[in-house]
Amino acid sequence: MTDHTRYRDDVGAYLLGALNELERQAFERHLSGCSDCQEELARLRPAAEALPGSVVQLAPPPGLKTRLMAEVHGDASAEGERDGAVRRRRGLFGGLRVPRMAYVAAALLLGLVIGFGVAQLGGDDSRSVAVTVAKAMPEAGGTLQISGNDATLRLHGMPELSAARVYQVWIQHGDRMVPARTFEVGSNGRGDVDLPSVDDAQGVYVTREARGGAQVPSENPIVSVPL
Amino acid sequence: MAHDIRDLADEEVMQLVQRGDPQAFELLYDRHGGAAYSLAYRIVGKQATAEDVVQEALLSIWRSRRRYDPTRGSVRTWILGIVHNRAIDGLRRSSVHERRRETLDVVEERFEASERTDVEVARREEARSVRGALETLPTEQRQTIELAYFGGFTQNQIAELMDEPVGTVKGRMRLGLDKMRRQLVGGVA
Repeated sequence: MTDHTRYRDDVGAYLLGALNELERQAFERHLSGCSDCQEELARLRPAAEALPGSVVQLAPPPGLKTRLMAEVHGDASAEGERDGAVRRRRGLFGGLRVPRMAYVAAALLLGLVIGFGVAQLGGDDSRSVAVTVAKAMPEAGGTLQISGNDATLRLHGMPELSAARVYQVWIQHGDRMVPARTFEVGSNGRGDVDLPSVDDAQGVYVTREARGGAQVPSENPIVSVPL
Repeated sequence: MAHDIRDLADEEVMQLVQRGDPQAFELLYDRHGGAAYSLAYRIVGKQATAEDVVQEALLSIWRSRRRYDPTRGSVRTWILGIVHNRAIDGLRRSSVHERRRETLDVVEERFEASERTDVEVARREEARSVRGALETLPTEQRQTIELAYFGGFTQNQIAELMDEPVGTVKGRMRLGLDKMRRQLVGGVA
């Protein structure tokens, strides 16, 4: 059996993503040197690429765009200001007093960093601040959305905790870490937490605590939002 | 007078996105977010999961925007390809039984988006045309294609599910795509 005969029938499966990893790699090696298979692939590709268009067209929920663009604006701000980030962070945290500054410093050491920035979402008092997360959670990210007296921390990519532990939010007022809500994330790693006003706060942080929450943080923050 | 980016073609908008322009990215969302969400919903079958898939996929597109290569396909194909891969990754974590049932179920038309713009009308027409091409296939070819593309099953898994030799499954995929291609070309001509 020639190489081509062996692989000819894989073209359809390849286009539909139905080869396993080893089969896919073997097919691609063959494809790179087989003009017949390249032609067959080019001939059938339009049919495979039409398949996404076959589904019933639905309207996406309006909140999806808002959440996505908040993250994109946060990213864009972070990229635009990346060069000055370290200096700016020092400026922001310079006014904090020990020992609370230790949390922030530790978060930065742990964290450096996914996302840091502020985006206007529209309206005079609406804004979205990208969170900083610990390096150990590379998939995690999110924003603190502030609108007037309302604030919502929206996180994604957070690891699911054991049944005995929860995430807890802390709001920094001067040199005090005020305990706020605890929350859990499901298998989708998402957590949306409504918070009291953060008008006078200097930061919002998240730690992992025993179920029921704590009065004092037991670890350095794994999510930080300096304000 | 300033140029309105809404007049630009996707490939031109993508150049702005690659330079880090969020407004251009928002325009791409407006153009393709509905198709992305519809595809994700067709694959995962749950609204919240579909939202997560689209958000994660589009955010990864924004973050890897410099990797877009126009010589490898259109912006729309690239976006939908990434959404498809993300949705299938999520789906592969669910049980085989659940996946098979959801893949072969038909999404009810009552959830369809209302037709507000010419673009949406065109998308609906496109969907009807491609669904029509799929429906002309013999049942076993159509189901094989749907299990692979929307169900994320490998050819070996499909062979097991349908109790057929792998060679038969391969043949159904290739012949089914070929017939669809001819139907679609015929539809345009």
